[in-house]
Order: sequence, then structure tokens, then C-alpha cells
Amino acid sequence: MRKLLLLTLLVAVPASAQLPGLRRRDPAPPAPVQNPIEVLRAAFAAQSGGTTVYFAPGSAQLTPAARTLLTNQAMWLRQHPEVAVRIEGHGDPTDTRNHALALGAERAAETRNYLILLGLPSAQVSAMTWGKERPGPPSAVTTLVAPALGGAPLVPAAR
Amino acid sequence: MRAIRIGFFALLGAAASAPAAAAVQPGTPAATVIALPPMTTPDKGTKGNEMLAVAWQATLLIETDLRQTAEVMPLEPNRKDYYSYPEVTAPTFSKWRDKGARALVTGFVQSRPDGRYTMGCYVYDVEKGRELGRSGFVVAPDDIRRAAHKCSGLAYKEITGSPGMFDTRIAYVAETGPMNARVKRVAVMDSDGYNHNYATPGGTTVLTPRLSPKAHRLTYVSFQSGLPQVQIVNLDTQHQQPLLQGPAMSFAPRYSPDGSKIAFSMMLGANSDIYVVGENGGQPRRLTTSPGIDTDASFSPDGGKIVFESDRSGTQQLYVMDADGSNERRITFTTAAYGSPEWSPDGKYIAFTWRFGDTRRIGIISPDGTGEQILTRGPADEGPSWAASGRELVFQRAEGNGRPALYRVNLDGSAPRKMTIPQDGSDPNWSGTMD
Repeated sequence: MRKLLLLTLLVAVPASAQLPGLRRRDPAPPAPVQNPIEVLRAAFAAQSGGTTVYFAPGSAQLTPAARTLLTNQAMWLRQHPEVAVRIEGHGDPTDTRNHALALGAERAAETRNYLILLGLPSAQVSAMTWGKERPGPPSAVTTLVAPALGGAPLVPAAR
Repeated sequence: MRAIRIGFFALLGAAASAPAAAAVQPGTPAATVIALPPMTTPDKGTKGNEMLAVAWQATLLIETDLRQTAEVMPLEPNRKDYYSYPEVTAPTFSKWRDKGARALVTGFVQSRPDGRYTMGCYVYDVEKGRELGRSGFVVAPDDIRRAAHKCSGLAYKEITGSPGMFDTRIAYVAETGPMNARVKRVAVMDSDGYNHNYATPGGTTVLTPRLSPKAHRLTYVSFQSGLPQVQIVNLDTQHQQPLLQGPAMSFAPRYSPDGSKIAFSMMLGANSDIYVVGENGGQPRRLTTSPGIDTDASFSPDGGKIVFESDRSGTQQLYVMDADGSNERRITFTTAAYGSPEWSPDGKYIAFTWRFGDTRRIGIISPDGTGEQILTRGPADEGPSWAASGRELVFQRAEGNGRPALYRVNLDGSAPRKMTIPQDGSDPNWSGTMD
């Protein structure tokens, strides 16, 4: 199984901004109204060549293909300094729980470090890991809108 | 969760407090047959009848407890085998010898003026005709179940030499909802399935609950902040707090055997290392420094050593170090991967998840790296946790449909048994005996 790491876009929008399939347990948004974050995400994905960085199994090393993609992403992000991104790392479903968490975190950190190396301000890029939680199509990709810097929390407060 | 108090008292009569010189050799392949006549009562009249009913319930609970074990096989209690109160401490051994029993458990339940109950519990070697152990418990009427578990534990300990796991708790992650959008809550229950409670509400992904040794507190990982971070909850007061301040990702927490410290993993940049910190916070102390992933620390029962997994060699393998981080030593050396180790309560074994390709199984190994055994067949078994007896493990198994369930497996090689829980479950953790 290929390991995936997803780069998600985010901007400072109210936490109530709904994107189809992005928030678990919430009812689907009533109408596919294009909101600014969707437009930005689509533009980012199209113009930088994708949002997903792939790794070899068990590895947190960036492949040449990954570096090319990240270079394109960095270029786009330098032109959009107002857009913060959150890098979400994933392990493999057959990893043990905590190894998957650590591997996802390693991959996210390596990716973030590379973007910073390419000149992005560190405050524009955050990183986290899902380990083997939240698998999604295809092959365990998850897409979540992350909080803006100082913004609302990603996960709704408990209760 | 209710705080439960059990008062211990000295039973009347000079207790011949024989050490756990078991009547039967531990490790005997066949289970030890144990006679379990109905518990009795010294109370008279209406109260006496009421107490006899309570005593009968307690007897049945003890039977259920002991029947779950591979080492002890109770004869079915028969109400006709009524014991008078004096017979509790002066049993007729020949009768039980004739029925093939090698040990005998007798006892009584007595009402107290304060409304609570006293349970007395006695264990005998039938062949030698002598007492092996006795204990007494004072409990609220609602807690007669726990007194029965304590009595089961005494019988198990006197016969096998290992502490019983009857009065313990199991924490796990309760999972509901579709597989791609699971709702995860920390659940805690008594090991017999009673007192099932949820410790977190379900709006936030949670992982790896680990009970404190006596099961009054719990540490787990929550994504509430948007990052995985270690939390602590007091199960008696429900008070929750993060283990650490600050934005670091922390996970894989585990209590020290005395409950005062927590070992955990923390990310520093792209590096996962093992740290230890007091339960009430303070400055974490870094124990490992290798590049790569060091995680899943577990203390030895004396607190002097820690087993953990590291991929510093290129694959996940198990390592043992002193609790201050010195004397690291690798103990597994095969082409398989080894993860999620947990040191057994008697110190003799380390349980682990064995992984080869996509297959995961549960195994055990001695802390010196010898005697590796694989106990389950997989294909998706993970996360073993020891019973207080050191003879059994609880673990997570993904069923054919991919949904995780909790299973128990005995070290004797018998087939794993599925546990009954109200929904799917993962990441189980078994506490030590409660007090």
C-alpha cells in the first residue's frame, strides 16, 4: 500500500465553512455553493499539480517526484502569502497504532521542512499526523480544512 | 465512575496465614478442579434468608470468574451442598476428595449494623486437609460483586501462585459509525463487563487509553487541539487535563508501575523519541536520542527498565533500556517487525505485535530476547495488554469485515476468545488489581 501525505489548503474562514465530505458526522451541505476556500483549494491543486505527496512504505524520505510537486506548491504559496497550509501526515493501516502516528508525523515534518527550505515562512506551514486514523479515498487520503493561525480549532470542541 | 471502597478486616481466629504454597503445581496442564459449595451466613431469621440469597449470588459470581480461567475449573455449585456457618472453617474434606476436587472455597456473607455486608472467604487444600488462605471484605450491598471478585482472586492466587485478574478494569476505544468516519470514545469497564462507562464524549478522535496501575486514572491521546496530545483523566472525579503544555505532538503514554510517572513519545521536528515526566507535569526528561522512530515505551514491573520499539535498525524492533535511558539493548533480531510491547506484571515476558508484510499477530518474548512465541494467527491482531495474572492478554483483532473487536488469549495456546462489549473496540488496556 502506498503511503500518502496530503497537503491541505486553508484560509481564515469561519469554522462553520462546510466542504463536502470534509467534516465527519456533519450533514452534507445543502447546496454546492462555491465558497472562497473551495476556489482557493481548487486553484492550489490545479496550479501546483496536486495536494498529495507519496512516500515509499515505511519511509519518510521525499522522493524526486515529491520534491518536484513541493517545489510547485511552494511557488504557488509564495504568490499567496495570505494562504496558510496544514500538512497532514498518514501512516499505513497495517502499521501498529503508535508507529503509524510517528511515521505520519515524520512525513509531515519532512514535507514542512522542505517547503520552508524553499523559502516559505514557517508560520505559513503547519504539520500534524493522523497516524492510521481517518483513512479516506483513495488509499487512505484524508482531506481536512485546518485552522488558520490563531483561528478556530479544527475539531469541534467536545460535547 | 463510582469510587468503591472495600475494607479489609482480620477474620476471627488465629489465621494460619500459610504462604501461597499451592496445593497443586502451577503449570499443570489440566485445570485444577475446585469445589465451591454455596456460601453461607451466620445471620438468623428473615435476615438470614436474605443473606443466604446474597451468598448464593456471590457463589455463582465466583464460579463464573474461575470458569473463565484456564487453570482452575470449579465444580458447579449445588444448593444441596448447604454448609452451616461453623463448617466454613471446618469443612469435610473427604466429601470433596471423593468428588475429585483438589481445592475448596468456602465462605459466608453477614449483614452489619451499618447496612454493609461482610464477606469471609476461605481456600483449602483438599488433599492435605489444610487451609491455604483466607480473607475478609466489607462492602456496600451494591458492591457484593467486587467482594466475590476478591474471593475469586484469593482462590486463584492460592492455587496458581499468580494474582487473579477478576477485580480489574479494562479501558479501550469504543468505535461506532462507518469505517471511514469512526466516532471514537474512551470506554472503561470492569473486566467482567459491568460498570461500562465512557470517559470521553465522542466529538474528538481518541487513541490508546492506558489505566493507572490501580485503575483510578487514565491517560490517553486526544486530537482535540488539532494535534495528537496526551491527556490525563481522573476516573473518580472526571477531571481532565493535558499532560504537557505547549504545541508538541505527544502520544503512546503509559504509567509507571507506581503510578507516579508517565513515559510517552514526543515529536521534535521529524524525530520521535521517548520521554518521561511526572504525572502532574513538570519538565519532561528525554530518554532516547536516536534519529528515527522510538515509541511505545512500557515499564518493567519494578520500574527499573523500559521496553520500547525503534526503527533505528531499518525495521521496527524491540529494545530494553534502564529507566534513565542508559544501557539500551536490542532484543529482537528477525526479519519481521516488532511493535507495541508491554512488559508482563510478573516481569517474565514482554508481549508485542508481530508484523510481517500485512500480517499482524500477538507474541511474547523473554526480556533477555529468548523464548519468542507467537500466540495468535492474525491476520490483523494488534496491541496486546496483560491481565494482572500474567497468564492472559487482551488485544485488538480486526474481523473479516475490517471492524475491530477485543479478544482475550491465554498463554497456554488455547484459541483466543472474543469479549462482549456494546460496540466495536480497539486499543484495549488491562489494569492491575484495584484496591
